[in-house]
Amino acid sequence: MSIEKRIKKMFAQPKKGETYELRAGLVSQYANERKDTIKQVISAMTVGKDVSSLFPDVLKNIATHDIKQKKLVYLYLMNYAKTNPELCILAVNTFVQDTQDPNPLVRALAIRTMGCIRVDKMVDYMEIPLTKTLNDENPYVRKTAAICVAKLFDLNRQICVENGFLEKLQNLVEDSNPMVVANAISALAEIHETEPTLNVLTVDSVLLKKLLLALNECTEWGRITILTALADFEASSSDEASHIVERVVPQLQHSNPSVVLSSIKVIISNVEKLQGEEHEVVLKKLAAPLASLVSTAPEVQYVALRNIRIIVEKYPHLMTNYFKVFFVRYNDPLYLKLEKIEIIVRLASSSNSNMILNELKEYGYEFDVEFVKRAVRAIGQVGIKISKSASKAVDILIGLINERELYNEVVISLRDILRAYPEHSAMITPTIVQSFDKLVDPEAIASFIWVMGEFEVVNYESRLSEFVDQFNDLDIGVQNALVYSIVKINVKTGALKDLLAKLFNNVDKVENIEVRDQIYLYWRILSLDDSSELKKLVLTRLVKIETTIPQFQPELLEFLLRELSTLNSVLFTTTVGKGSKQTQITKIKDVKLNVINDENLLDFDDDDSETSKPGESVNILDELNDLFSSSSISPPVNNSSSTAQIAQNSTPVSNNKNTSTGGVSQDLLDLF
Amino acid sequence: MGNVFSGIFGKLWGVNKEIRILILGLDGAGKTTILYRLQIGEVINTKPTIGFNVETLSYKNLKLNVWDLGGQTSIRPYWRCYYANTAAVIFVVDSTDKDRIDTASKELHTMLAEEELSDAALLVFANKQDVAGALTAAEVSKALNLSDLKDRSWSIVASSAIKGEGLTEGLDWLIDVIKDEQL
Ligand SMILES: Nc1nc2c(ncn2[C@@H]2O[C@H](COP(=O)(O)OP(=O)(O)OP(=O)(O)O)[C@@H](O)[C@H]2O)c(=O)[nH]1
Ligand SMILES: [Mg+2]
Repeated sequence: MSIEKRIKKMFAQPKKGETYELRAGLVSQYANERKDTIKQVISAMTVGKDVSSLFPDVLKNIATHDIKQKKLVYLYLMNYAKTNPELCILAVNTFVQDTQDPNPLVRALAIRTMGCIRVDKMVDYMEIPLTKTLNDENPYVRKTAAICVAKLFDLNRQICVENGFLEKLQNLVEDSNPMVVANAISALAEIHETEPTLNVLTVDSVLLKKLLLALNECTEWGRITILTALADFEASSSDEASHIVERVVPQLQHSNPSVVLSSIKVIISNVEKLQGEEHEVVLKKLAAPLASLVSTAPEVQYVALRNIRIIVEKYPHLMTNYFKVFFVRYNDPLYLKLEKIEIIVRLASSSNSNMILNELKEYGYEFDVEFVKRAVRAIGQVGIKISKSASKAVDILIGLINERELYNEVVISLRDILRAYPEHSAMITPTIVQSFDKLVDPEAIASFIWVMGEFEVVNYESRLSEFVDQFNDLDIGVQNALVYSIVKINVKTGALKDLLAKLFNNVDKVENIEVRDQIYLYWRILSLDDSSELKKLVLTRLVKIETTIPQFQPELLEFLLRELSTLNSVLFTTTVGKGSKQTQITKIKDVKLNVINDENLLDFDDDDSETSKPGESVNILDELNDLFSSSSISPPVNNSSSTAQIAQNSTPVSNNKNTSTGGVSQDLLDLF
Repeated sequence: MGNVFSGIFGKLWGVNKEIRILILGLDGAGKTTILYRLQIGEVINTKPTIGFNVETLSYKNLKLNVWDLGGQTSIRPYWRCYYANTAAVIFVVDSTDKDRIDTASKELHTMLAEEELSDAALLVFANKQDVAGALTAAEVSKALNLSDLKDRSWSIVASSAIKGEGLTEGLDWLIDVIKDEQL
């Protein structure tokens, strides 16, 4: 009789103290004393005290006609059922009786609590009360019971299926009351998510009508559920898509941001099916509601901004007129400010770039260092994206370097601009050279060295020589840039012979294997006889970059559009969620999940015509040539195009430091 | 304020005081039938009680809090949860269930050995007397070894919950015994 012993032990309680007094109150012979004590227990529970040891005594008070007391006991029960699973069966009789109570509130409360008590033993007794409440005459009870089915399914699928609860739930979708419909959909959606093979929720044209009708009638929760189900529905024709959109558009005015976002999701999933003018007209309708989301609470705003970033990437012109909405407010938290800058740079166009640059310039004079750094990079991004603004961007950056002493950030941004517009070098290189003494960030130092190799910069020898002397102490990115620039200058002018010799002579001491291979590679190239080939190989300018604003890979973008208003859309991942989504995730993983830049460093496929045709013997020089002309061995090009690194990071963090050309060296290794 | 007063005075005069009575016994003995027969005077359709029923009935100016606990083997261990502040136990025996009368006896004595019930009065209903061949009250009394009980007010009454016989008689005796202690 071990169970007997255990229970005995449970009641061997101290005869003093708070628990003892509470227990005495719970079994008092006065009804009002019992009720008062229950209140005390609940308030102790809500402040986090462990009152689970009172379980059986609280439970005794469940059978009462006082509905307030019943509510409190139910509340207690939901909280502590897990700590006393065996004792829960003592409540079964009362539950069953309560689901037949004349008061619908009691009936709903009972079935709701039964569903929330996640105890296996309870499952055996749920059939009768659940069947009864699913057929209840009162819609409030039915809608509560609908949710309970999903809970039961989660706890014990077999019993749920065997008792036909899934069919009963599906019947509720036909219910006359829209709230019941919404909850039934919600429950079915949850079940569908855990067990897609059962196909419990297939939206067809019949169900579609029901959903669209229920949409206007139910609470915001219900709307969100219905909209989520609608978003997964594939319209079979443009008429159907148009009908859905027409019904959903009014929801864009809803005051709940989640309803708005879910509506936008439905509209976007249908908009491509719309024909002619309607496509544009509908898209235009999204702009104002999206902009309105930016005046919500910061946390909500953040979600909205992340979603807007996805939408804007798909429809770049959608929000252009609203760019001012995204200008930061002084009291925005940092994470919002940073996210707003992301949107601003993406909305920059030739018509607004002036205003945007002026705004970003002001950010450059703020206090928060991280924000200022991001603003500096944004100025560069806008300057590169909008060619006519390039010189304005350069002016602002040079102003910032002088007034705010933002040497490192500005040098990096200026380097990016040089990558896009080498013609501005006369204006830019002096600033970079003057800043040299202030540079500490390895990326900035690497940028400086790259600029020295790329453009005619005088008085470099001593500086480069210092670097070569402490080669192994340098950051890998700086090492790469150094090798690149010394070789380049040497081939161009014949200078730096000593430094080159030093590099080659000490190559064995280079610790980083990739950098060492790179030096060997250059050594071999420089030993080639053909000097014109050699020059072509080393001196080819890097490909012009068009933007430094990271973009999603097309597959990821399409995926995220379908995931709007979910956690995935906020994190830019494909991994949150289970069940049905699993298949999509694996599909997308195959296509390499990263953010790409227009300029893909590792993409060798689109090389120029010099590539040897199949069948011809491959000349190693040609291959190398291709490699170089496609900018493979680049200095740290720009920090957002660090493909290899970002690939490891499923979120498109654009401020990754680009420190290695690892992927390239690996390919070169393979070559030899 | 009103609450406080009615609370205090209620306590002083014993007005709102409830007398706690437990109905125990093996499953199927007729406990739930008896409870509702006493409360609403009718025979109801019962199902095995998973857990408990509790009803308040007024009887001779007393407020009785009557608890009917499930008698299945799996529930019996939890009877003890209900012993605190109990004035009396009504133990119901199915007089036709000769096979399990020993089990009933064992459960009865285990229960009575509990300290919390040392002051509780005991009323035994030898139930289902309407069925032919049922043990008589005396036979049940013997099988339960009631005469062995020391320091306890007890009584056994032949009853039929279906016909409504013996119930008031038993309850009358029980109230007489516990009334003085409670007031
Ligand atoms: N013939 C007859 N049948 C009775 C009598 N009392 C109860 N019954 C029947 O016995 C069966 C069980 O009665 P319940 O009152 O449910 O028994 P219980 O003691 O509550 O059982 P548990 O809740 O399982 O502990 C029912 O079919 C009753 O109709 C009686 O006096 N005579
Ligand atoms: Mg019963």
